[in-house]
Amino acid sequence: MSTAPSVLWQKNPALAWREIDEETVIISPNDSVMHELNDTGSFLWKNIDGKKSAAELAELLVASYEVTPDIALSDTQSLLEEMSSRKLVVPVPATGGELR
Amino acid sequence: MRAPLANPGRGHQQPFDLSIGSVPLRLQMSDSQLLGAASVRYAAFTGATSRAISIALNDFSAVDHAQAEFAYEFEGAKLRASSRGISFDGVKNEYALDSLLRILLSWKLVARQGFLLHAATVLRDGKAYVFTGRSGAGKSTVASLSPAGSVLTDEISLLRRENGVWRGYGTPFWGEFRAAGSNTSAPVAGIFRLVQAAENQVTRLRPLDVLRVLMPNVLFFSAEAEANRRLLDILSQVVAEIPAYNLAFRKDPTFWEVLPA
Repeated sequence: MSTAPSVLWQKNPALAWREIDEETVIISPNDSVMHELNDTGSFLWKNIDGKKSAAELAELLVASYEVTPDIALSDTQSLLEEMSSRKLVVPVPATGGELR
Repeated sequence: MRAPLANPGRGHQQPFDLSIGSVPLRLQMSDSQLLGAASVRYAAFTGATSRAISIALNDFSAVDHAQAEFAYEFEGAKLRASSRGISFDGVKNEYALDSLLRILLSWKLVARQGFLLHAATVLRDGKAYVFTGRSGAGKSTVASLSPAGSVLTDEISLLRRENGVWRGYGTPFWGEFRAAGSNTSAPVAGIFRLVQAAENQVTRLRPLDVLRVLMPNVLFFSAEAEANRRLLDILSQVVAEIPAYNLAFRKDPTFWEVLPA
């Protein structure tokens, strides 16, 4: 799964989620597994809207947390990779035959 | 193992009314043996109700489901629900009927701010104490250590939010398929996660821990995203409104002494 900085990400539309105790709780209905996101994961989750890439999400992280752009991008890509492997997020399908 | 009760032939359809957790249900059935078994098992929950949810039982031609909103199959018995009605097909005995009723209820309850939970519920001082945990956690033990007549269920509890108050209901779903329970309810005093221990101790759970305790014990069978969102809304409300605790308990009635009033 590519987490290249330019790929746009969206939440998996098949999921249910809520914020409880300042953490994001996500239920995947197919297996009833409960996933929990920490502070940074919750911040990213709130901002994943199908219109932002890892690079753009990392910029938001830099603006909200005391973190350098390099580390923000690295952390964002790691979290997206983790969330993608759990099928919590999916890349937005490319239109016009090419990825942005 | 008892003999299957299914009667493959279609006979006279007879309504069998019951209400579980204030959810009115009407089984349309023609199998006299199955009707007899249901009458015994759900004795405390029978009675005419208005605006009941009608279920066609083993009557394949009764409901033509163009597109099921919810479908579930359990050991050959099939539940299908669509805008045209609800049907249970392939129900060979009372065990299968009981399973499909639980599955249907779990689905219907989300629109009624309720859910089913693996838990024993015991009445004390007019309130419902809900003791949750998987098999072996101690639900039956807690029930057996409680006064006769005070146990609403020893296996599967039904919780609903009505007029801003969470109520614990009696259900006919008891362990080892015993016919018991009373069709009554009471405001929920608290939810207690059972852990057998040498000493009694009660500890308040923080909200996220409550959800961690509830999730594996909630009975829910729909894989549809919207239904799961509604369930998560309900559980979020539970977490915010019902006090929940970890209950380490000895196998004797002294555990009641450490419970909050």
